[in-house]
Amino acid sequence: MAEELVIALAVVFVTAGVLSLLANQFGLSPIPFYIIAGLIAGRFVTEAEIVVLAQWGIAFLVFAFAIRIDFGDVETVLRDAEVAAVTQLVVVAPIAFGVGYLFGDLFGFADPVRNAVYFGAAVVLSSSLVGGVLLGTEIRQNLVHGRLASSIHFFDDLVAIALLLVLSTEVVTADAIAAQIGYGVVLVVAGLGVYRHGFPLLVRLADGDSELVLVGSISILIAFLAAAEYVGLSIVVGAFAAGVAIRSDGTQALEVQNGISSITDFFTAIFFVTVGALVAFPSLEVLAIAGALSALVLFVNPLVHLLSFVYEGYDARTAFLAGSSLNQVSEFALIIAIQALLMGTIADPMFDAIILAAAVTMVLTFLARRTEDVVYETVVARLFRGQHTRKVDERSSVDELSEHVVVVGYGRIGRRIVETLEEHDTPYVVVENDPVLWTELDAECRNYVLGDALAAYTWEKARVGDARLVCSTVDHRPVSEMVLDLETDADVMLRSSSAEDASELLDAGATHVAVPDVLAGEQLIATVEDLAAGETEPAELERAQRDYFRTLERYGFTTRDERV
Amino acid sequence: MSEIALAADFAIIVVVATVIGLIARQTGQPTIIAYILTGILLGPVAFDIVTDEGLVELMADLGFAFLLFLLGLKMRFDDIREILPAVTNVAFGQTVLQTALAFLVAWALGFGTVEILVIALATVFGATPIIVKILTDKDEITSLPGKIDVGVLIVQDIYLVIVLALFATDELGGAADIASTLGVILLMMSFIGIFSLLSSRYVLPGLFRRIADNKDVFLIVAIAWAFLFVAIAEGADLDPKVGAFLAGISIAQLPYSKELEDRITPITDFFILVFFATIGLQIDGLSSLLAYWWQAIVASIILMVGNFWIMFYLIDREGFDVETSFLGSLNMVQVSEFSLIVGALAIDQGYIGPDVLGYLSLMALLTMSVSTYLIAYNHAIYERLEPWFSRFDSAEETDADISTYDDHAIAIGYDEITEQALSLLEDRYGEVVVIDRQTDHIEKLEAEDRYEFVFGDFRHTEVRKEANLKGAAFVLSSSVEREVNEALLAEVADDATVFVEAERIGDARALYDRGATYVIMTSHLAAEKLSEYVELYVTDRNAFDDAVARDVERVRGRHRRSADRLEARSTRIDPASTADSDADGTSGGESDG
Repeated sequence: MAEELVIALAVVFVTAGVLSLLANQFGLSPIPFYIIAGLIAGRFVTEAEIVVLAQWGIAFLVFAFAIRIDFGDVETVLRDAEVAAVTQLVVVAPIAFGVGYLFGDLFGFADPVRNAVYFGAAVVLSSSLVGGVLLGTEIRQNLVHGRLASSIHFFDDLVAIALLLVLSTEVVTADAIAAQIGYGVVLVVAGLGVYRHGFPLLVRLADGDSELVLVGSISILIAFLAAAEYVGLSIVVGAFAAGVAIRSDGTQALEVQNGISSITDFFTAIFFVTVGALVAFPSLEVLAIAGALSALVLFVNPLVHLLSFVYEGYDARTAFLAGSSLNQVSEFALIIAIQALLMGTIADPMFDAIILAAAVTMVLTFLARRTEDVVYETVVARLFRGQHTRKVDERSSVDELSEHVVVVGYGRIGRRIVETLEEHDTPYVVVENDPVLWTELDAECRNYVLGDALAAYTWEKARVGDARLVCSTVDHRPVSEMVLDLETDADVMLRSSSAEDASELLDAGATHVAVPDVLAGEQLIATVEDLAAGETEPAELERAQRDYFRTLERYGFTTRDERV
Repeated sequence: MSEIALAADFAIIVVVATVIGLIARQTGQPTIIAYILTGILLGPVAFDIVTDEGLVELMADLGFAFLLFLLGLKMRFDDIREILPAVTNVAFGQTVLQTALAFLVAWALGFGTVEILVIALATVFGATPIIVKILTDKDEITSLPGKIDVGVLIVQDIYLVIVLALFATDELGGAADIASTLGVILLMMSFIGIFSLLSSRYVLPGLFRRIADNKDVFLIVAIAWAFLFVAIAEGADLDPKVGAFLAGISIAQLPYSKELEDRITPITDFFILVFFATIGLQIDGLSSLLAYWWQAIVASIILMVGNFWIMFYLIDREGFDVETSFLGSLNMVQVSEFSLIVGALAIDQGYIGPDVLGYLSLMALLTMSVSTYLIAYNHAIYERLEPWFSRFDSAEETDADISTYDDHAIAIGYDEITEQALSLLEDRYGEVVVIDRQTDHIEKLEAEDRYEFVFGDFRHTEVRKEANLKGAAFVLSSSVEREVNEALLAEVADDATVFVEAERIGDARALYDRGATYVIMTSHLAAEKLSEYVELYVTDRNAFDDAVARDVERVRGRHRRSADRLEARSTRIDPASTADSDADGTSGGESDG
């Protein structure tokens, strides 16, 4: 018995391992490849026990997600995602529901309404796991569209959990849903209680033994899962509440998070492979549904996001790039589907179609990304040109200037430079593309352009032809290249993350390139030598730094959104 | 909706084990004892609410397979090469002498012939998880006695793997049968072993260099590798765990193994709990556990004392000094958890009854609990007994020298910030160890062949231990993640100089509060520099031109130097394979969210 299961797991992991090598080779997320591994491994892995392990995969996935949530971030996320995400729910969800219902009706599903909801969820939600891989560099470089997309991902995940809470009722009545929500709230409140009292107690009792804290955290997960099952809630809600209960700060946090992420990786691989393995050979109707689903996700979703971001005031490029990173089916849609399958409330073709569409869109989203610059230049930029010009005019304020300095980016460095320029009474224009900063720009800067630094009109607006210096604080290669290509006699100062890039930019004509890491390295060496030579004391260094922080704070650097 | 937590036996096991584990922790007992007790409590001996079937059995199997995989991962030949001959002698002598002693004791206590054989083979001394865990907690795992113990345990584990394979085979008739089975096992093992060694030389380095930067794929492929060997072993009718062990050894020789150890350990911790609990579950009832209670007590005492002297004699004979021999022996006086595994297998095969397993379990429980305290207080005990033991001192005894880092400098993350400082640090602190999580950085360091390095995420305990963070005199972290830096500051010695990086002012303050010597703030630094230049530009154009010209020269100089190094490296390494090194900042850890 156990031997067969071990062999089944061996099949799961060996196929998943081989296919993830493939994913890695092409720089793709491994998740769709796990699903494909399941399609290949198929009938080897459908033992009841493996399906149970897959459910533990769901539990750990949600658990790990909830542990990482920083409730301090929720406000930023809401600010960024509010309009777009709500538009998405209001516009796309009804369309998707309608299409889903039509399919249900056409193929005679037992419960067309419910199936239409599953279909709708698969269309609307996008995947934070895949998106995280997709947007890795953007999020790290702090680009606006990366931040927007990850906010939407996060919002979608929360919506998915709420949806799972409602959908875990067998019979949908107002009472039943109210009861579900009631239980859900009780669980999350219990989670917060454990966060406050129970978990610290666990850490104290474990007395530095990280293995015990890890096992204890899993026990908390189990307790919440059992409670959720006892009152008839989805285990996802239990896992979420359990995740809320685990502290992600303190000295134990690193070890525990490392432990949970390893265990999560182990079980989620089983989950995704099993999901793929549950799919039967696709029939025509499955293909029809999957095709419609993929089309909605790949085209309608990004379009609606694009329009709502533009409406919110983002430039067309940012809106397009953010929208096009949201065109994949969410892993939560898979969880919803597999739970429905276990409850017997989803039609088989619908289930198969959702899984197939998930695998397809998760792969295509990476391929789409490689062509998005071309698509933007040939289609989107043309469509929005007139609108862009108008928008930039509306939200910018530039006097008749000449011999001025153009400062690109209004983050920490940009602000510092603006301060210096104000002191010397030198005319300047700030170029920034994040509408969130608009009020600040308006209040603090004499001249500013709110627009995309990669669009020609923005530069025209900033009167770059008459400028004497362009100083870019944005460490993003396309922007640096754009600046160097500008038709102007102005000198150019840039920022770059490596000496290698800097050298290339200097060759291309930059007057100066700041490499923060090289600067930091030099300062480091100087400080180490000073310390060693006894020219300064650690206490003195600390005092100087703290004074410096106070100066910065006087200028309001911590009260503002601290971005680079 | 099927229920996965409410109805699951293993869920109950985990929760109960946590509670007992927390209680045991208060009395300083290792978790392993708590887990076995959990099994005893939940099984037929006490409440009888859990059985070891279905998922529980699967998880127990997985736990054991992962434990052996992990053990294999720890088998880095480089680590024990210096003391390997001595250790092999000790391990071999110890195995033979202790088996003989256990045989005599079991015979004297009046067990049956087959039972005596099983007991003698099973009561090998030295419980790897316990010794490793407590010595690691006490920071003595890299001391000489610790190294000897680990070396002996590793050699012993190979012996155990063979014994296990022997017990896992179905039919064992006469001596000829045993001999032929042993032959087949050895043959199969050497086939798989050769396969694993060949792949560790030719396949794995390339494979893992491609994937080591991606932490998810890295883990899954490593697990897949283990399962591949498990499946092969299963196919060859061998114990699948042998496969897991060999898979571990083949990865152990790669530079990425420390990092992998840290990723596999939690999975092992989780499943091994279930495994140890099933040991307790297999005891048929209180009567079984206590069936041979006085024999177990007598045997425990005789074997603990006897084995101490066997170990002491053997280590002493290899020319180590008395203290080393004493500590090395004292650490090893508990019955290995493998005795229970061998016992459980022997039950499956029908060689012994549950009573004998009860005897073995009781013995393991007794010796493990006692030895926990012995290891915890080993130095104090030695001080008491030193006058008496000094009679074994002889003039020519010298300890083999074991190199560890001490009073060294550590750089976390190999990037342009740390790179510039390395040679300065080398001048000042003699030895520099770089910790980095990116394969291309490690390759650069390897090609340069000037500084020591550890591949891995700084968040991971094993990685920090490998670099001996606690003994470092200078630490430089180029990670801006606050929790990483806080963990660093919590672990370093009080008088160490620590330079860390921060993005935000609030973080920088918190780091100073926790004892950082200096906090580097890259973007504020860039802000100062750029605004300074802009100021020069608008006030004094000539000064600006001079400053810029100087800077341009410096940047180009840096670039040239690193380009030279790059060239030196590309002669050795296929450039295509490094093309896809996902630009993951450069910090020692990659961000999770």
